[in-house]
Amino acid sequence: MIPLNWVVGLGAALFAIGAVGVMVRKNPLIMFMAAEMMWNAAALVFVTFARSFHDMTGQVMAFIIIGTAAAEVGIGLAIIVSVYHHRHRLDIDEVSELKG
Amino acid sequence: MIAFVILAILALGGGVGVVVARQPVHSALFLILNILALAIFYILLSAEFLAAAQVIVYAGAIMVLFLFVVTLLTAGKDDAEPQEGLAGQRLTAGILAVLAGGGLAVLGVLYPSQSIPFGLPPNFGNLHGMGLNLWNQDFVYLAAVALMLLTAAIGVLVLNRPQRRQHRAGVKGEDS
Repeated sequence: MIPLNWVVGLGAALFAIGAVGVMVRKNPLIMFMAAEMMWNAAALVFVTFARSFHDMTGQVMAFIIIGTAAAEVGIGLAIIVSVYHHRHRLDIDEVSELKG
Repeated sequence: MIAFVILAILALGGGVGVVVARQPVHSALFLILNILALAIFYILLSAEFLAAAQVIVYAGAIMVLFLFVVTLLTAGKDDAEPQEGLAGQRLTAGILAVLAGGGLAVLGVLYPSQSIPFGLPPNFGNLHGMGLNLWNQDFVYLAAVALMLLTAAIGVLVLNRPQRRQHRAGVKGEDS
């Protein structure tokens, strides 16, 4: 039996690492991967509380997080590729003016 | 506890690797390590179906898509990280995030939720129990995710639609 409160702490730490990645890196691909890690940390906490309260609803929420992440990756990578076709640089500041 | 420590080291190492790695390909590989560690966590938390879904959807579909895009966009390039726009932005972001995340982690560890000690209900975590929930009380969420996936697919098609005028001009240029 693994300690559930420590797993919640691990989820918080992973969320913070992902937030650091989103704020510090300027490559949009790496920022996107860090955001994926934040999704994953939230899903881990949902599953942990589902185990803790013996309630399947948390696992359903984690499943929906996985589905949402799939949709988000599809549309986000399409946006990154189309921005790269216009600008030919992988730098998030290229889109700071929101002009195509 | 030993399993927890090993898996936590793997997950945290993968997470730090994603942020620190210079090449996006290395970031993607570290993220796969992180995702697989979390999948083993799901098995230990008796969520077998979610572990399978995590491996298939995340480590399979999403990361393959990421690797395709990374190889498409950064093949043969060795771009240095661009200069930061705001002075001191990285240091401030790091300090604030470490404070917030560390605070949340300490709170989560110090105040454990009141867990139910006795045995798990039947069908906990397997496909049967998940389906019972998804098709009865949580059907709204399932329908919403289905709609969102459809919208995302159509959105990708609209974003990357072929541009007719440029194509025709290119063909004409080849003819002349």
